Amino acid sequence: MSDNILEIKDLVVHFETEDGCVRAINGLNFAIGREKTLGLVGETGAGKTTTALSVLNLVPNPPGKIKSGTITLDGKDVLTMSDKELEEMRGNDVAMIFQDPMTALNPVMTVGDQIAESIELHQHITPKEAFEKAKEMLKMVGIAESRAYDYPHQFSGGMRQRVVVAIALACEPKLLLADEPTTALDVTIQAQVLDLMKDLIDRRHMSMLLITHDLGVVAEVCDDVAVMYAGKIVEIGSADEVFNSTRHPYTEGLFDSLPNLRERGEELIPIKGLMPDPMNLPEGCAFAPRCPYATEACTKQVPELRHVGGTHYVACDAYHDPNFCLRRNSNG
Amino acid sequence: MSKNVEHVNEPEVTAENLKQFKGRSMAQETVRRLMKNKGAIVGMIFLICLVIIAVVSGFIFDYDTQIIGLNPTEIYAKPGLAHPFGCDNMGRDILARIMYGARYSLTIGIGSVLIGLCIGLILGSLAGFYGGFIDNLVMRANDILYSIPNIMIAVVVVSIFGTSVASLLLSLCVTAATSFARISRAAVMQVRGQEFVESAYAMGLPTWKVILRHIIPNCLSPIIVQVTLAVGNNIIAASSLSFLGVGIPVPIPEWGAMLSDGRTYIRSAPWMCVFPGLAIMVTVLALNLMGDGLRDALDPKLKK
Repeated sequence: MSDNILEIKDLVVHFETEDGCVRAINGLNFAIGREKTLGLVGETGAGKTTTALSVLNLVPNPPGKIKSGTITLDGKDVLTMSDKELEEMRGNDVAMIFQDPMTALNPVMTVGDQIAESIELHQHITPKEAFEKAKEMLKMVGIAESRAYDYPHQFSGGMRQRVVVAIALACEPKLLLADEPTTALDVTIQAQVLDLMKDLIDRRHMSMLLITHDLGVVAEVCDDVAVMYAGKIVEIGSADEVFNSTRHPYTEGLFDSLPNLRERGEELIPIKGLMPDPMNLPEGCAFAPRCPYATEACTKQVPELRHVGGTHYVACDAYHDPNFCLRRNSNG
Repeated sequence: MSKNVEHVNEPEVTAENLKQFKGRSMAQETVRRLMKNKGAIVGMIFLICLVIIAVVSGFIFDYDTQIIGLNPTEIYAKPGLAHPFGCDNMGRDILARIMYGARYSLTIGIGSVLIGLCIGLILGSLAGFYGGFIDNLVMRANDILYSIPNIMIAVVVVSIFGTSVASLLLSLCVTAATSFARISRAAVMQVRGQEFVESAYAMGLPTWKVILRHIIPNCLSPIIVQVTLAVGNNIIAASSLSFLGVGIPVPIPEWGAMLSDGRTYIRSAPWMCVFPGLAIMVTVLALNLMGDGLRDALDPKLKK
């Protein structure tokens, strides 16, 4: 058995709409080690959610289509699984937490029933036993058991997200896909939910793919970080490597647009321009039109991921020049 | 458990508290809330009485003599002690006929709606869920049926199969099915894109379970309201068709047919029209009251 719970190789996902082909993911490569947490960072539209849905083979089809590539989950290829195998895998081996707890729960089912549903489905036990287990799950995420009979609208946002976490963890999956689990919550609740997730994942020896655009969350929770831009990984490495020796101009841009606690008066530097239209991606490096370091060559050739030390890889051709260095790093 | 988790723990649940929560299923909860709505109770009581009357009248009246027989001595008898609702042009007791007629009106009203609901809900949810070709096929066929006036459909059905309860049911359920297909399609389309449906898939549920357990229950409140309204509508429609002579064949005491019979004598014997008309009106009102109550009771968002 390999060391990685999840390996994604050369994944290409397109959405073929009437207006044209949306190239959401264009050759994605990454892996998540066992009991590791990978943070997938990128701005809206970078293809993060599509990546997570691909792992479950749930990309809405039509219009979405997984064109090529392999997704290996615990040694098995997800993309060649039969419908039955997929149903067994979903929820049992891999579970997903959705972004908005307000809409991720069925409004006409009690939360206990919703947690029990997944348990009943995968562990083949009676509804009554499943419901008892569901109560235990609720208790585990810090909600009184008696509330299993309540409906989602009777819970606050943070508690609903706890319920969603309980549903996802109910069958003890090996991999948890968390799609911006804290984006819809306010800051105090964010920390609670993150702590809870981190704690449960550690105790159950699970792996997690944490999708977020909040670098603070990544720093707090993740072992590894992958930065995604226009459907590709532009930088990947351990959290320490990516945060402390940032290599890609886009990652630098992300850090520059965050307020700095030590120099509070400093102006934020946003990344200029907008994400390219995925229907009409530029030739060469997709980030070149917005990149302050871009040269003529960048607009011609698509950069490959190159090894820059340790587990750190970056997709930027500027490193052909051995003296190239980002401003962030040169200033110390 | 980490520190952060503990402090949001609910206060200790007392045994009494727990008892209150325990064993209250969705159905019990709905009934409990329905009981708080006075209009719904009145409607429900009336409908229950009507059903009992419909069942019992088959045993207490003799169809051949009391319901369709001719009683020359009592023609146009005024409402009084012997005949509370009076008698018609054949000397038949109108109360007895209305009571007996409840069987036809209720069977036709409820039957046509249930058949229409089954067809419409299945076709409509498939169209709404899968979209594309299936959607086009179902909805265009629906449009065609929708564009034909109900009475026209009834006339065609009756001229093919003759006037009978079955052909009346058939022609009414077509109309009901088209409106149910429309409503369920719209509701399913709205629900299908929501995150909890995606999350149900991510949980590993097969498609049919996702539709049955997650999508359709979320579409029910507009459908239930439509059901109760449609039963009322179909009772009226059946009565209008009988009134026009394409409904139920003559001697059968259907309320609409009685209304139609009485029309000729409205000046000399107004009770021949008034009481069947009232029967239709009160039944439809009771159905609507119950429909409103059910909608409120079934919507967990209104739970207090």
